[in-house]
Amino acid sequence: MDNEMTLSFRAISDNEALARIAITSFLSILDPTIEELSEIKTVVSEAVTNAIIHGYDEDPNGIVTVQASRNGREITISILDQGIGIENVTKAMEPLYTTKPMLERSGMGFTIMESFTDQLTVQSELGKGTAVTFKKQFQPVEEPLYVR
Amino acid sequence: MQHHIEITSEKIAIIRLGGELDHHAARHIREDISQAIYSGYVQDIIWNLEGLQFMDSAGVGLILGRMRDLQVHNGRTLIIKPSSTMEKIFQFSGLGKYIWHDTEQEAIQSLGGILHG
Repeated sequence: MDNEMTLSFRAISDNEALARIAITSFLSILDPTIEELSEIKTVVSEAVTNAIIHGYDEDPNGIVTVQASRNGREITISILDQGIGIENVTKAMEPLYTTKPMLERSGMGFTIMESFTDQLTVQSELGKGTAVTFKKQFQPVEEPLYVR
Repeated sequence: MQHHIEITSEKIAIIRLGGELDHHAARHIREDISQAIYSGYVQDIIWNLEGLQFMDSAGVGLILGRMRDLQVHNGRTLIIKPSSTMEKIFQFSGLGKYIWHDTEQEAIQSLGGILHG
């Protein structure tokens, strides 16, 4: 393991940006492409938003934890909450399925997370919480071309 | 998160978004935009995402919600200048057909309007 990070914060929506900034800094050593970085930021944002609004129903007493580790160019990130849990994970992962249409949630969160990662696992237990873990292999950095 | 709404005399709203659009930001701007639609000054919407540095599925929710608002008078929606990551998100969500690879001016013309000033 080359590096690890753990970040915990209250379930307030302001912290969605905080999680993205922390992950951006953690990944900077990999010199990711703009697209790789924006895709990972999107995945983290989706999972953290889910934890805040679904796991805790925006109760600021709830704590969301983001764990990240780097092994070479492979990144593993977990987003953990001890909130209400997901009753039916398979259903929750269906495109366009949402339990909060009034909040204009599109139901696309898990589809985006699956599409932008190499591997995604969701573990959840009612009343105990949810863990979303994903892996992503970053492309090698291209050698710069020097032109005389 | 910044947003700027310009409404042409043909009732086309050009909504220029800047900064980061997530769930937190979306709920702050949703009302502003809905009000313009409900007040009857807006028929169609062009979303210009050129200044947007980040967007997650909250952007999909925001745009789909306003499309529902516009349905009352068959208003049209165009999305211009999304980043490649945003374009993928729109494709996954079935909004790909609303993306136009055009300038704001061309998008306005295609909706049959003229931008004054």
